[in-house]
Amino acid sequence: MAEGKILAGFLAPHPPHIVYGENPERNIPRSTGGWEVLRWGYENCREKIKKLRPDVIIVHSPHWMTVVGHHFTYLPRLKGLSVDPIFPHLFRYQYDMKIDMELAEACFEETRAAGLTTKKMTNPNFRVDYGTIVSLHMLNPDWDIPVLSISANNSPYFFSTKVGQEQMVQLGQATARAIKKTGRRAVLAASNTLSHLHFDREPDLPEDMGREHIYNNDQYRWDMRLLGLIRAGRTREVMQILPEFIDKTASEVKAGSLAWMLSAMGVPEVPGKVHGYWSVIGTGNAVVEWDLTQQAVPAGASA
Amino acid sequence: MSPGKISKAYLVPGLPHLVFGKKLQAWTELVRGYEQAGDNCRKSKPDVLVTYSTQWISVLGHSFQTHPNPSGIHVDENWYDLGDLPFSAKVDVDLTKQMASKAAGKGLATKLINFDGFPLDTGTIVAQHFLNADGSVPVAVLSSNVYANAADSMKLGAAVSEAIQESGRNAVLVACTGMSGRFHTTEIDFKKDEFSNAADDQWNRRLLKMMEAGKCGEVLDVMGDFAANTMADMQFKAFAWLIGALGVAKARGKVLAYGPIYGTGAAVVEFDNAS
Repeated sequence: MAEGKILAGFLAPHPPHIVYGENPERNIPRSTGGWEVLRWGYENCREKIKKLRPDVIIVHSPHWMTVVGHHFTYLPRLKGLSVDPIFPHLFRYQYDMKIDMELAEACFEETRAAGLTTKKMTNPNFRVDYGTIVSLHMLNPDWDIPVLSISANNSPYFFSTKVGQEQMVQLGQATARAIKKTGRRAVLAASNTLSHLHFDREPDLPEDMGREHIYNNDQYRWDMRLLGLIRAGRTREVMQILPEFIDKTASEVKAGSLAWMLSAMGVPEVPGKVHGYWSVIGTGNAVVEWDLTQQAVPAGASA
Repeated sequence: MSPGKISKAYLVPGLPHLVFGKKLQAWTELVRGYEQAGDNCRKSKPDVLVTYSTQWISVLGHSFQTHPNPSGIHVDENWYDLGDLPFSAKVDVDLTKQMASKAAGKGLATKLINFDGFPLDTGTIVAQHFLNADGSVPVAVLSSNVYANAADSMKLGAAVSEAIQESGRNAVLVACTGMSGRFHTTEIDFKKDEFSNAADDQWNRRLLKMMEAGKCGEVLDVMGDFAANTMADMQFKAFAWLIGALGVAKARGKVLAYGPIYGTGAAVVEFDNAS
């Protein structure tokens, strides 16, 4: 068996609005569109993933928040209707996902070996969270690639951003080792919005783009500062600045998805390609790709 | 039509562990207290059970469940291995809409939620399990708005109270919330559950004493400190909602049970408005 590797990583934000804007058959609500720039960005990612032909897409989602350890979906198939409790008028989605069980087992074992608390989610009636579904749909609406979903342990909120980020780094390294051992060609998805201050009112027409804008200019400038570092390939600086970024923007990256992904990729000093940036109900969202195939970085190079 | 009334109100925990408490032979005291609350609740023969749950989180203002019969199987995202939580509730849609209208009249953002497959939250289901096990009593279910402060939550409570009064209903209110919110972060033996932090226990007890002394205004005064020091469940604003409905002068609680659930604080407190 060839050694596994991470082909690419994507910052894959998950506001349900972008699925709603696209009107896929699987989602019940209908829209007149909206948030096109983000959706077009995702279209580029879809093409890229088709070309890469990965064995699996692994997603870390802030909307599956767990208090006791890091959890992995561990059932061959998860299927059902996911109604977003926050935006049910926008997102009622029929999902049907095939889980990479061997990789799930390996991730569980590696995470446990790293000294982190971990669990396998084995309840067939479990409703998959909308963060996981939105990111996966936007990256691969055909759902023809197996997936693995990882919960966001809430250690950053319970203890501190620093403690939480350290755990996510360890989790990323464990994920990379599992990919390597199982021989998988993997794509990673960090299901995170950037700045996360948002409006608590929405227009009568949720996709009224005349009303859509970033919460304030400070948030925008922080998002651009982070994206500037990402575009320049200054990934270690990104990791260093994350706690301050979180503090200034209430960023959802606090949940750890981005830190997990960058760590799994070995904090690669390669430029991230920003496919799109726009606000959703005031939050800052960027669709970003890190292509590791050019560098042929083995999984967990720095792990 | 005679004016409606709130005959009883409860502060109850919403973690799913208690539903499985007997099976797991754990949390005995809390289960007993919750069952006692259920007995007392039934004796008051309510027309409606109005539940505010901290586990139904909303960001676009305050949400009100208006599906006539939300039903399905819920699985808690954390405690999925405890078991499934089947639910079927009969919603008092007219009263719920009236509550929302009253809340909007007070300047609060509101949203009516009526979608097939909408997941009732764990807390609401746990409260139903103990207080309305057969689902025979109609319910009204309200969300916990992330951005609401204590004052907004009290306004929401007042709106609920006004709507009940105008409806002629005999209502029981349920504030489904934890107290201190610091969970154990590793696996524990359920039978040996204890508070994750001794200071949290002291804070919880301090607040419960105030409730029993009828000093609910003091609880409101220290709520901010309590929340900051104990990671209280949604800043404990479910209590503010409850007091907004009952009126701070009248409210006096009786603690039916208190203890830890996975390190957090949990109490079953009864407010008997008839007494």
